[in-house]
Formats: sequence, structure tokens, C-alpha cells
Amino acid sequence: MRISIENFTKSFGDTTVIEDMSLEIGDGEMLALLGPSGCGKSTTLFAICGIHRMNAGRLLFGDADVTEVSSQKRNVGVVFQNYALYPHMNVYENIAFPLKVRKESRAEIDRKVQEIAGLVHIGELLRRRPMQLSGGQQQRVALARALIRKPDILLLDEPLANLDAKLRLEMRSEIRRIQLATGITAVLVTHDQVEAMSMCDRIALMDKGRIVQLSTPKDMYENPSSDFVAGFLGNPPIAFLEGAAANGGFRLANSQVTLPVPSGIDMPGEGAPMRFGVRPEFFQPDNPLKVSGKVSFVETQGREELYDVTLENGAVLRSIQSQSAGFRLGEEVSWGIAQDRILAFGPDGNRL
Amino acid sequence: MRRAHLLGLGFLSPALVIIVMLFLVPVLLTVMFSFTNMSTATGISGGAYEINSASLRKLADAGAQESFLDALGQEAFVVDDAGITAVAAAYGEQFANEIGSQMLGERFTSRRDLERAFRKLKSRPRSTRDIKKAADLFKRSVLNVRFETADGLVGAVTGNGIAMTPDQQELLTRTIYTGWSWTTDNFALMTQIPYIWRVAGNTVMYVVLTLSVSVGLGLFLAITTFYLPSLPAASFRAIWFLPRILPNVIFVLMWKWLAWDTGFISSFLANFGVAPRNWMLDTDIHAWVFIVLINGMVGASLGMILFGSAIKAIPQPMLYASEVDGASRWQQIRYIILPQLRWPIMFICAYSTLSLMTSFEYILLSTDGGPGGATEVWSLMAFHTALDNYAGNLQYGLGAAMALVLVIVGILASLVYLRIFNFNDLVAKPRIEQ
Repeated sequence: MRISIENFTKSFGDTTVIEDMSLEIGDGEMLALLGPSGCGKSTTLFAICGIHRMNAGRLLFGDADVTEVSSQKRNVGVVFQNYALYPHMNVYENIAFPLKVRKESRAEIDRKVQEIAGLVHIGELLRRRPMQLSGGQQQRVALARALIRKPDILLLDEPLANLDAKLRLEMRSEIRRIQLATGITAVLVTHDQVEAMSMCDRIALMDKGRIVQLSTPKDMYENPSSDFVAGFLGNPPIAFLEGAAANGGFRLANSQVTLPVPSGIDMPGEGAPMRFGVRPEFFQPDNPLKVSGKVSFVETQGREELYDVTLENGAVLRSIQSQSAGFRLGEEVSWGIAQDRILAFGPDGNRL
Repeated sequence: MRRAHLLGLGFLSPALVIIVMLFLVPVLLTVMFSFTNMSTATGISGGAYEINSASLRKLADAGAQESFLDALGQEAFVVDDAGITAVAAAYGEQFANEIGSQMLGERFTSRRDLERAFRKLKSRPRSTRDIKKAADLFKRSVLNVRFETADGLVGAVTGNGIAMTPDQQELLTRTIYTGWSWTTDNFALMTQIPYIWRVAGNTVMYVVLTLSVSVGLGLFLAITTFYLPSLPAASFRAIWFLPRILPNVIFVLMWKWLAWDTGFISSFLANFGVAPRNWMLDTDIHAWVFIVLINGMVGASLGMILFGSAIKAIPQPMLYASEVDGASRWQQIRYIILPQLRWPIMFICAYSTLSLMTSFEYILLSTDGGPGGATEVWSLMAFHTALDNYAGNLQYGLGAAMALVLVIVGILASLVYLRIFNFNDLVAKPRIEQ
């Protein structure tokens, strides 16, 4: 079901968390609300499920205005960060709870619980208490409970934050599989860009209560609208070079080195401050646009190695290369930047 | 034992002293008293032996033979050294010596017989009056004489020429002792009190009704204030907490003002032509309503605080989850909040049962067991018996025995509670998060 948020404003007391936000989520789409903590992504999620009432604006599910509808009547499934399972009920009762409060028949409840338990692979755990489950199992129970009454919308509030790294990887694909299998419209709140990029059709990147960019993961990675977006996405993160426009090029700060700018950008006036963003995969020994520096940090990541190169003016560029390269700490290197992959940002941080 | 352990014990010792002095010693004393017949009449120190009209009645009640009683009650005239010495002082050595040489050790049941014997002596006084007086000097009676020891009493009685079988002697010393003695009769005595079963029933009713009101009202207040905005909720809680922080006397006094025949209820109802009366004490049912309300309010304010904080301890996302799962307010209370209040409800039930069973101060202050014993509960009965008896004879021993019954019932009740609520299950095993 399509979700439309129109001119949403939310404040707690005197603090306005979200001001005049609009967002459209398509039917069957999985959208990530991504952002640093305190950016208002959870607040948006809670507004969609009705736990928080909106101070201003409208919320539509399909064509129905649900702004004033209580959370009980919205038919939204939510998976909370710490799963919020009911400790005094066993897994079966936890999953059956949304049906029980709707007073469905015992046989009907039983059939649906078995079905959904099969979908999330917890059929053999139904008699256990939540406390007797591992984190990943609790996660699956919470997902089953959210899905059992066939909600119009599935909301996931940092569902993977409490899992260890391996389980996180597994549940990532698992949640996506279930979302695709049920065809449900889903909103994922997360501060982890990898989660957002790997699980979702589109990402809404939020900062300070605003959506700063809304696009597909690939597009957001390749065409960030601002240095904030560019810095938020990517691991290892993008490196920035500070400098200023000079003679139609980019002069590094505290340096005489001038780099050519990527083609097709609007140059700011002479002397205006600029930033270049260079992703680690585009700073490689073979590229033509050479800069010199010294290897100041080496991190072995198994398949790849991550190098920090400190340039003569003190700026740091990152490079990620295959293991075979074998550069050592302190080594003087002269590596190149892929010129057409440079992301140039103006003085206000926006992409040029 | 390491030094740290000693240090811990050292720090603990003041608490141990307090526990021993304020808890262990009173309990032990209660147990001790309950096996005595201490009362105002016996005193709590020692006693003495004295045969008087009252103790003769007690002996008769205890089944002593009539002849024995008559013998004890009768005066006797015994010619003994003490009498002879007295005669010597009053009527001269000669008469005294004559009595001593001829009559020493003789016993007469009446003065006339002794006088007759005196008249046969040569050196007797001339006047009849003097003979009578001399005879009086030999009058010996065990009546109205205090003896500090049982042996003294027995010596005096046998010295009076009254023969006793060992059974009679035992009966006599046991029955006429004015001090307290060890006994197990209190428990049998208790069952013979005519109103005892009514008091037991009252106690059960008092505990059950008050507990229901305090848990029910406490839960109601905790849940309603939980759903209120914080400021009104805090004000409500403060108001409902007043009964617990008010001094008992003032709290009950306000209820009395409410119920007096010139009080609020009467004055208000006077507008509708209802005759003023004491609404608290006019009927048994009214008295019970007030007792249960007064105690229930106090219990409810504790319950409210305890349940309220337990509800606040429920993780917020769990309540959110139940809301988005479609649970109405009532279902949220029924399926999420109440099950998680199981432990505090158990605590209040167990704690209140025990404290209600033993506490009577609000009843004492409001109805004092009235009207006509309708609201007399066990602990109040124990208090009345032991410390505040209308008849004036405070029966410490019997009262202590009544209190001991409460202690035993309390221990049994707490065992039952632990069993019902399955204490071990309530305390979850610690588990390391995976």
C-alpha cells in the first residue's frame, strides 16, 4: 500500500524534531530512513504507525487519510529495535497476540501462526519463552508477530542493531526475502548505510529532521547531492580534499598543487572555497591524475587492504586495493585519482 | 575467616543487635508469656501463699474435699511455745510454766475447751475474762497469713494439726499461690471463650475485604494515573498517598468527623430529612464499611506506588508493540500490564495479609471492636485481653497465647503464599545475552 506523508511536522515540547517533511513511498517498495542518531528517522516511523501523533501535516495509506486514526486501527506491523516481545508469553502466544486481541477463532489463529512460523523458520520454537531464544530467533519472532495479521505496512526500527555481525548479514537477506515474498510496503529505520543500501529499493537520507536526498542506493552512492550524503555513504568512507577554485582548476589548501576539475560542473568564482570528494576505490596507483604522499596507515581487511595516504599539505586520501599490492607504512607513493569520478562540492556543501 | 568477613560482621552488628532486641526478644517473650497464667492478679514477678475466703472458694472450685476445706477454714487452739511465752509476759511465769508442763502440744478445736482445761490449773488467773484472753493467745489459724514459700504454708497447716494427703497438699499449694505459674491451659481456655469463633471469622473477613479493596483500588489508581498526563497523575498520586503519611490518629479522626452524628454525612443528609446518627457505629455493616475503607485506603496508597512503579518499569516499546498489534486500552491492561504486575501483586498480597492480621490500630482508633464486638478482630482481642481489659484483670498470659496463634497462622500463610505464587519461578535465572 502506498504511503504519503505530506508536510509532516513533529515537536516534543519546545523542540521541533521534524519540520514540514514530505515523503512518498510506493506500493510494495522497501524504503530506508537512513541518518545519524537524532535525525528524526524513528520519529517519522512512530508517526507512520501512530504511536506519535503528528503536530501538523497529513498521512495517507493508499487514498485513506489516517492522520487521526489510532495506531490500533492502522493495520501496521512494527518490529522494534529490541523486539519488544512479551516476556510472559511463549513464542506462539506472542505471534498470536495481534489475532487474539481481534478475537479470531482458535483454529484460525493456529493455522496462521503455523503458516507464518514456517515463513520465518521458527516452527520448532513455538513453545519457548522469549528469554530462551537467541537474538536472531527473537528477531524472527518479532517479524512473525508484525506480519501475522497481514498488515498493509511493515515498519522496522533498527531491527539489526542488537545482532552480532554474522547474524546481521543473515537477517539482512532474510528480512528482504520475507518482504519480497509478502510484497508488503516496508520502511526500515537504520543508521547503518550498508543495511540501507543492501536491503532497500530506495533510501531517504535524513539529517536534522529533513530529508537531504531521496534516491536509489546506487544513485545515492554515485551522485550524492551534498558532501553530507557523500560522507554518510560508503565504507571505507570517502576522503575530502579542502581547497579553492583557481584558474579554472582546484588548488589544494596550503599547497601549490592544482588539480583539474571534472568536466561539466559549474565552477564557483575565482578563489571560492571548494571540496573534492574522492572515494577509496578511485584513488589507485594506475590512475593518471597523480598526487604524491606518504602511506600513513595500513589496515588489512582480508581480501583488500586499506591505505591512508597523507599528502604534502596534510590532507589525507584513502585507497582500497587488492591484497597483492603490499605497500608498507611510511612508503612514499604517487597514486592517481580517477578524474571523472571526483565529486566536487561548493562552499555550502552542495554538489557542483 | 578473612579479615573482610570480620569487618562485614562488625558493620552488621548494630543491625543484629536491633533485630535481636526488637524482633527476636519480643517473639520469645510472647512465646514465654503464652505458657504462663500471668495476669494483673498474679503480677509478673513472684507470688505468695495465703489462705483466705477467696482462695478457699478457688479450692472448692478446684475440687477439694469439704472436710479439708472446713479444717483449713477453722480456727484452732494449739498450746505451743509461742503462746506460752506470750502468757508468761501477760500472766506471770507460774501460769506459763504450768501450761508448759501439763498441756504442751495439746490441740483444742474451740476456745471453750481450752478455757475448760485452763480452769483445772492451779495458777490460773482469777477472772474469767483473763482466762479468755489467755486462751486467745493460743489461737492459731492459717487464714489470712502470707507465706513466702510453699513449705512455710505446709508447715503452718500441719502445725495446725490439719492432716493432708500428698494430693491435697499439692492441690492446696498450686491453687492458692497468688503469683504466676507455667501452664498450657491458655490454649484450651481460648477455645472456651464464647465469642472466639466470631472473632476468627471477623479476622478473615477483615483481611480478605481490606486486601481486596487495597489491591483493587491500588491497581485502579496505578493504571489510571499511568495513562494520565504526568502533572495530573503526580497530583493524584500525592493526594492518594496522604493516608499513608498522615498520622494514624489524625487520619481516623477525619473519618470520625465524617461519620459523627454532627459530622459531614449527618449534616449533609439532614438536608434531606435524615435523622442524624453516628454512621460509623450505628450498625454492624456500617462499622465494617468504615473499617474496610479506612484500612483499604491506607493499603491502596502503598499498592498504588508499588504497582505504579512496576508499570513504569515495563519497557515502553512493549506497550507500543501491543498498541500497533491492535490491543485496545483494556486489552493492553489485561494482557500486557497485569501479567507483568504479578510479582508486586503477590508481594502486596503476602505483605498485607501478614500486616493486616497483626495490625489493629485503625480499628482500635475508629470502632475499638464495636459496636458490640462486631468488628473485634483477633489481634485486637489479644490486645484487649492482655493490655486493655474492661474488667480490669489484664490477662497477659492468655493475650500472649492469642498473639502466638497469630504468629503461627502468619508463618503458615506465608508458606502457602510462597507455594501458590511459585517464588522460584518469579526470579528468572540470569542469562548472558548472546
